[in-house]
Amino acid sequence: MRRQQIDSPCVQGEGGVIINGVFIDDTYAEAFGMKATRIVITADNLTWARHAANAAFGFATSVIACGCEAGIECELSPTETPDGRPGVAGLLFAVSTKELAKQLERRVGQCVLTCPTTAVFAGCEGEESLPLGKNLRYFGDGWQMSKLIAGRRYWRIPVMDGEFLAEEMTGLMRSVGGGNFLVLARSRSRALAACEAAVDAIARVPGAIAPFPGGVVRSGSKVGSKYKALPASTNDAFCPTLRGVAKTELSPGVDAVLEIVIDAVTDADMRVAMKAGMDAVCGIGAAGGIVRLSAGNYGGKLGQFHYRLREILA
Amino acid sequence: MTTLSLRAVPNGRVDMTGVLPETLAGRSADDIAKQIIHLAGSPMMLGDLFEVDADETDMLVIRTDSDRLDCLGKGMSTGSVRIEGPAGHYAAQGMRGGELDIHGDAGDGAANGMMGGLLRIRGNAGDWLGAALIGDRTGMAGGVVAVEGNAGDRLGDRMRRGLILVRGQAGDACGARLLAGTLVVAGGCGTLPGSGLRRGSLILGRRPEAIPLSFNDSGRVDLSYLGLLHRHAESFLPGLLPASTQAHRYMGDLAFGGKGEILVLA
Repeated sequence: MRRQQIDSPCVQGEGGVIINGVFIDDTYAEAFGMKATRIVITADNLTWARHAANAAFGFATSVIACGCEAGIECELSPTETPDGRPGVAGLLFAVSTKELAKQLERRVGQCVLTCPTTAVFAGCEGEESLPLGKNLRYFGDGWQMSKLIAGRRYWRIPVMDGEFLAEEMTGLMRSVGGGNFLVLARSRSRALAACEAAVDAIARVPGAIAPFPGGVVRSGSKVGSKYKALPASTNDAFCPTLRGVAKTELSPGVDAVLEIVIDAVTDADMRVAMKAGMDAVCGIGAAGGIVRLSAGNYGGKLGQFHYRLREILA
Repeated sequence: MTTLSLRAVPNGRVDMTGVLPETLAGRSADDIAKQIIHLAGSPMMLGDLFEVDADETDMLVIRTDSDRLDCLGKGMSTGSVRIEGPAGHYAAQGMRGGELDIHGDAGDGAANGMMGGLLRIRGNAGDWLGAALIGDRTGMAGGVVAVEGNAGDRLGDRMRRGLILVRGQAGDACGARLLAGTLVVAGGCGTLPGSGLRRGSLILGRRPEAIPLSFNDSGRVDLSYLGLLHRHAESFLPGLLPASTQAHRYMGDLAFGGKGEILVLA
């Protein structure tokens, strides 16, 4: 990954940590243990692999209402895929093995099986495994064929363009979800430009995804709501429109906040991804309208993983 | 590397059962020479027929210029055996793991009842390669067989699982009564390919003279599975399968359920 060059050195003193004019809050992102898997979708060309991946990993921004968080990890050349065709590797994260298995089967069944020319393979190993094509094979209505190649079982399911090839199982990984940082900027356009740079940097980190649209969240949430039915509601302390009426975390000059949420396969991947993203934002710096970097947490009581921003950027 | 060098052509068939890396490992040359084998049904010591040179590794080399050594690698589960010369009948019979590499031809019944591991035959193979053990209902049930040359009749008869790759031609009734698994013959085959085939895939590099009448033509199809198989086969016999995923498919044997297939790549 290309490292962003930061002109100004990191300044640490009584005033806190400032990198390239960006104040780094003395806080941490609170992340959670999640279950994850990686799958590889191949097709006759990258366009159709992307179509399948975009559908399968779409509507997967937050486990709050999507069931899982998912995204494209990287694109693969024909030499990197099991069947020698171009492909896409994607990661799916969920709060439980059961939910992950359910989401995986639904998404592959409705979005990959249905997509012309595609095939799907396991993209990871794990101590435990999840059904991938194991149950989807019954779509073949008895005409499905099994193949055992190098100790791995595949299902050939007849479909109207030939066959849908699916590996029977994929690996289950213990992973980390919900790593985040907040970009506080002088305007919305400047916050967005910095976040786009951060998402580009995170996209180059293996084992990490930013599951929200374009990798960026504008609706950071807090736990709970005045309405009993809602588990989460708007993070009013970071809403610029509520300054003056609600308790605010916004310093003078901050007119917009955007958040980047990251899910990663390992704790180390999360640290690399967060650093890559924050380095990119700091590279833009105060000259680009960035005022502060902060993070979302729940007081440290809910998540097993705490990522201190200053420690990661040190 | 433990080396057994055949002193002279034996005057009968030699049953080499039990001469395996796992049984010879850690033993001295003198001890190995006392291993009992059978010549024409009569017991004798290994040292009577072979010069023995032993060491600590699990690699066994058998140097022979006779095709009368039967049951080489029979029941083998680990380690590596290289046959420098031809092998007799029933090589790799019931093999479970490890690698048996025959630098020459193999006789009949090789890989009968094989369950795992890798059998390489650099020359030609005889009849009944990968078929069932005598009296068994199913043939080869796992592992990989890679043949550089030709194979005889009834290749993969009653095969249950696993992969057989043949660069040359196969004889008659190739893939007959195939239960499952994959059989690839790049050079074409004789009459009645896939006769009695239940499931599994018989993949032919050349169109046979006739497809049995109990197979129905499914036409030309595109199978991404072939891309997967191509990549796997490259590690055993490079260039055996084309990179193309196009094949002409015939489904059958309709007299036996019709769930199997003959794929003609040409």
